[in-house]
Parts: sequence; structure tokens; C-alpha cells
Amino acid sequence: MKNETVERKFLPEMPRKEIDELKNTVKTASQKIMADNIERMKKADPHRPEAMKYFDEMADLFGKRPKEIAAEKEKGKKVIGYFCLFAPTELILAADAIPVRVNSGWYDTSKLGDRVVPVEVCPVIRSTIGAKMIELSPFLEQSDALISVLTCDGMTKLSEILSDVKTIWGMNVPRIKDSTQSLRFWSDEVRHMKTQIEQFTGNKITRKKLKEAVEATHRATKAFRRLQDLRKGNPVIMGRDAMLVNQTFLWDDKQRWTEKTEALCDALDKRVQRKDWVCPPETPRVMVTGTPMFWPDNWKLPTLVEEGNPQGVIVADEQCSGERVLNDPVGVDEWSMDDMLNAISERYLMASTCPCFTSKDGNEDRINWLLNKVKEWKIQGVIYYVVRGCMLYAMEYTRVKKTLDKINVPVYYLDTEYTREDVGQMKTRVEAFLEMLNARIDM
Amino acid sequence: MSLEILGDVLRLTVLAGLGAAGVLAVLIWKRNLATRVTFLRFVIQLVAFAAIFYIFSYSALIPMLYELIVLFALTIFLGRFFCGWLCPLGLILDIETLARRALKIRHRILPDKLNIALHKGRYLIALVFLLTPVILWMLDPQEIMVSPLMAKLLAGHYRPYGILLDPMIPFIVPWSNTATLNVVGVNFSYPYAQNIITFTGTEIGVIFAVAFVATTLVGGFLVRRVWCRFCPTGCSIASVNQFKRLGSVPLLHIDKDEEKCTKCGVCKRVCPLQVNEVYDQKGGKIKTSQCMLCARCVEMCPYEGTLKLKLGSKTVFKSRNWLKPSNIE
Repeated sequence: MKNETVERKFLPEMPRKEIDELKNTVKTASQKIMADNIERMKKADPHRPEAMKYFDEMADLFGKRPKEIAAEKEKGKKVIGYFCLFAPTELILAADAIPVRVNSGWYDTSKLGDRVVPVEVCPVIRSTIGAKMIELSPFLEQSDALISVLTCDGMTKLSEILSDVKTIWGMNVPRIKDSTQSLRFWSDEVRHMKTQIEQFTGNKITRKKLKEAVEATHRATKAFRRLQDLRKGNPVIMGRDAMLVNQTFLWDDKQRWTEKTEALCDALDKRVQRKDWVCPPETPRVMVTGTPMFWPDNWKLPTLVEEGNPQGVIVADEQCSGERVLNDPVGVDEWSMDDMLNAISERYLMASTCPCFTSKDGNEDRINWLLNKVKEWKIQGVIYYVVRGCMLYAMEYTRVKKTLDKINVPVYYLDTEYTREDVGQMKTRVEAFLEMLNARIDM
Repeated sequence: MSLEILGDVLRLTVLAGLGAAGVLAVLIWKRNLATRVTFLRFVIQLVAFAAIFYIFSYSALIPMLYELIVLFALTIFLGRFFCGWLCPLGLILDIETLARRALKIRHRILPDKLNIALHKGRYLIALVFLLTPVILWMLDPQEIMVSPLMAKLLAGHYRPYGILLDPMIPFIVPWSNTATLNVVGVNFSYPYAQNIITFTGTEIGVIFAVAFVATTLVGGFLVRRVWCRFCPTGCSIASVNQFKRLGSVPLLHIDKDEEKCTKCGVCKRVCPLQVNEVYDQKGGKIKTSQCMLCARCVEMCPYEGTLKLKLGSKTVFKSRNWLKPSNIE
């Protein structure tokens, strides 16, 4: 913990009373929104599997999981938070610490963030700053240290702003990803992070422990891929449900999450046999790509798509809050410490499709990912979701559109904000897109 | 006489049995019953090792010519399949890798530049290997007097084609000569040891041979498949694949699906020969004569169907929705 007397460089000093008041207001509102979102998800699918109950419970950000983490913390475990997916969670797990992702999805707190940074800044950043100002997010409060990977401009300065009140470990990510020197640099960063985590937690990351952590993540990847493969056929799970499952992994206990996801997949397998689809098989199949969408507030787009008239179903996404979380496993060749660390650094750097990268052919991996998803998941329309201020995703749109035009898949650029005010307008836009998709399918 | 025939029959039976075992292994593999291609490769290497030993047990010379014919037949169709799946020296190097893994010692990698230089310069290395016996034979005037040039080249001490085929001499051989080491009735041999002794004379030759064996063994222990990067045999096999006109040669090749690839780099790191082409190339048939088709990259690729080992246009083995990396290797 940082010493409170140190002068804060960014964050304003707020009176205790104001913090508590704001926190309680936002928390109550947020709990209502979470309950409402889950209620809507339940209503959307009358035969929703029992196994989803667990994820509903985990989705409550003020419920069971923060209490569990608090109990673990009392036993002496450390909690290490992270913002970007580049943080090597295997290392955190191997050091007997708990990794949690702390990006915020609260709309209300983004207004608070405006006091520190201008409105032009990406709302994910503003919202996270706001959440810290009123100590809203339990995971952010519980984390003893934060790993911040300097991917986009927002993330870079976010770590600086939060360093007023938290221990921050920056990881410098190279922007050109397919060169040898980048990899060398990044693997040095990963090795440095290993020492840092070891010193901080007091637990040495041994070969055996790291192997266990890698294998635990492999099992999670296996379950995750099983779920995504189930979405290839006729829809048996609502996109929102699957997105929620993917997102709970970010704060859940990894082993338990794996078991529960496997159980969910078993239930879905039975559903496939019964031919019990969540919506008519001819419903337009939509993929969402772009800025990450964080639970609980930023759930408006999937809700609009799947409750729209005509209805659509999200069968895949390309977001670092969704399918990118677990898509790539750590490919270990030999179980030596050295090779494991190499494998971990390669998995986080080279397999990533984050738009902060470029390479010889530009960010071609992302294009390939999209093309592959469109073909394998039989996507009929892509929604390119961007929040205002997210430059990197916005700037890649033209290339994505050109590529998808070539294979005759419509793309729709949807820009929005962390606000509920534009829901009505978005509804019209999304429904018009879905109408167009329907017309295409009928033809 | 009848005993000899009996021995021949016995050998042939063993060989047929080994062949059947190999076919069985291929069947297991094709039906996807074997989960680990590395394990299967090891089995096939052992089968090939035994088979080559039995071929050699007829006599030391003629089988070499047979092997030469078989080798080039394989070459035309299968590329460097021989290097990855059948070569006895490759087996020795793989056993060393297994030992190193068991001891949890990390492998060294050659710098990319050196690796590529070795790859490009292997024809020069092969030329040196080939010319040394010819030059030595010229410097040995007595022997020219005795027999005609061609006969000397093909059957004398300094057999150039023998140089090309030496890695194919298994670790255990049925004969004994100056370069073999007899331990409890088993003759151990090592590629090129005999040649070194023949070229340099028995006294110094033994020292050279021991030094050579030690260097290659230590090198092979630290660097995966170090010999295969400049092996004269490998390069002579690969040279047939260089003709651009024969687009379909080698029939057996690695194929990459560009769209499924996320360039995660696993294929590059797990490759025992440090081949970069699988990673670098955008997609389609991987064009490199460096690859020995051991399919380690295909096995380790974590994206289903991205890398394929193809025979012609038929997929023999493709990367799976990869779940569990091997424990033992």
C-alpha cells in the first residue's frame, strides 16, 4: 500500500463522505442493472441451462467472488490485478496469487473520470479512474499490485494516474510484434515480471508450480474452446450468455471455472441432440469485433442485438473481453523453466490480435482471425463496435471493411459512448442492420 | 549351406515382422489412435533402426548400394522424410534430446544467421566430404597402380558414396573393424569414425575419431539435431527437391492455412531444426529443403487444421484443437 501522505499527482482528494455517498449510489444502481441484465438473459432463452446459474452468481461483482477473494487475502494470499490481457497470468497463478482483471464497465463512473482526464479519452479509462476515485470496484480495491501493460495511449496514462494510490508494475510492450528483437525485449519484460511477482508475494515460482499453472490454463482453454465450437452450429446458447461465461474467467477461480464451463458444455451437447435451439436457426448470425465490452453496464449492444426486432444472435466475437481471453494456449515444447518462460512470452506477444500492434503486413493476424471466424462460424454480418476515443480500433476499420467486402460480408460501424442515452438511437441502427441481414438471407 | 539359407529366411522373417509393425504403427496413426506423433515417430525410428541393422547383417558393402537406391526412391516421393523418421543417426540425436529433457537441461539454439549459413553452405560441406576421399586417393599413388580408377572409387577404401551414406550406419553394427567398439559381443559403430581412421592412419585416426564422436555427441546433446542442419546425406536427399519444374515434389510436405494462423510462433520454437519458413511463409505448401518433416510443428500447433502434413493432396495428419502437450519428451 502506498503512503497516503504522498502528494497525489493526478487524482483529486475527495472527502470521505462524498466518496461513500457516491459509492453507495452507484453500487445500488449497478446491482439493479446487473440483476436486470441477468433477468433479461434468462427471459431471452426459456430453456436456459441450469449450469448458467453459477455464472450468474459469479457475475455479481459485489457478491460471492469478492467475498471469496477477501477470505483468501486474509489467509495471506496476494491479489494481483491487471488491465490488459498481456499480463502473464500463469506467473501470477504460479506464485500462489490471485489474478483479476480490473477494467471497469460502469457507465456512471466515467462521468467522475472526467474530473481527471478530458472527455475525449476512451471511456474504459475514464470509467476505471472514476471507479478508483469512489472505490467502487471490489477487485480493484482488493488488488495489492496492478500489472499495467502499456498497449494503447489510454492504458499507458491510466497506470500513471492510478500510481497515485496503487503499486503499479508497468510492462513495456513492443509495437512491432513479429521481429526477433521485439520478442527478446518482451521476454526480458516477462522474466523481470517473474522476479517482481516473486519478490512481492514472497513465493518462488518453481518449475513445478509454473507447469501446474500452465496446465491449469490449458484445461481452461480446452473448456473454452469447447464452448466456442458449440456456437459453430445452430445457436444453442445466447451470445450474451457465452460472453458472460468468457468474461467471468477474468475474475473467477480458474479451476472451478473450468469445471463449470465443462458442465455447461455437457448441458449444451444434450441440447444439440434435442435440437432445442435458442432461436430459429435462420436468425442472422452476428459477430462483434472492436473495443472490449465490460460487464455489467456496457452490455447494451449484445442486449440490443439479441432482443431486437428482427432478432440476431451473436455467435462469435473478437474482443479482449471475450474470445481473446483464452483462445491461445501456451505451447510448451520442453518443460524446463527457460522454455516455459519463452512459451509464455510468445503466447502473450505473438498470438495477440490487439490493434496496438503492427507488423510487416500490418495487423494481419487480426484480419486472418476475422476471416477465419466468418468462415468457420458462418457469420452473416459483423458489427464493428467502437467507443469514442478508442483510436486504434477506429483506425483499423477501413482495412477490416475492405477485407470483409471482398468476401461479401456486411460490416456495420457502430460508435457509442459509456452512456445509456443513445440506446434508443442505437436500437434503430442495430435493427436496421439486422433487417438488412434478414433480407440478404431471404435472397 | 542349408544353414545359411535358414539364416537368410530367419532374417527375412524378422524384417517382415518389423515391416508389419511399421505398417501397424502407420495404421494406428492414420486412425488417430496414437495421440502423439513424436511417440509414433520414435517407434518408427526404432523399427527402421532394426531393419537397417538386419539389412547390414548380410554384408557391409552391397546393402549400401541397396540403401542408396531405396534412399533416392524415397527422396523423389517423400522429401526429407527419411531424415526425420528413419535415419539411425537421427535416432541417436533424438535419444540424446530425450536424455536432455529428462535431465531438465535447456537446449541451446544456434543463432539464426549461423543456422541459415549452415543450411546454405551444406552443399559446400558435402563437397568437402566428397572430395576428401578422392584427393586422398590421388595422394596414394600405389593404389592407382593396382586397380582401375572406377573400381577404386566404387569399392576401394575411400568410397565417396559411402561418405554420403555414412549417417545411415546404425549405432550398433553386425561387423567389426578398426572403428567399431566391441562391448559384450555387441559392435558399436559411429558414422564417419571408420572413414576418419582410414584417411588419417590408425594411430592418430583413433584420436581424431574419438574427438569427432565426442564433439557431435555433445553438440547433439546441447543443440537439437545439430548434425541434420548440414548433413551431406540430408542435402543430397533435398537436392532432388530443388527442381522448380517438379512442383509436386516432394509429395510429403507441410501445408499451412494462412487464415487460421495467428502467428503465435509455436511452430518456430518447437522445430528441432530451427526452420523459420513454417512461421514466415504466408500459407500453402512450405517450400524449404531444410524441413525434415518430423511433424513436430503440426503436433504442437494449437489451432485446428492450421498446419497439415500432406501426402500429395491427401492430409495425413493435421494440427488438432490442441489440448495437452506431452509430458515425457
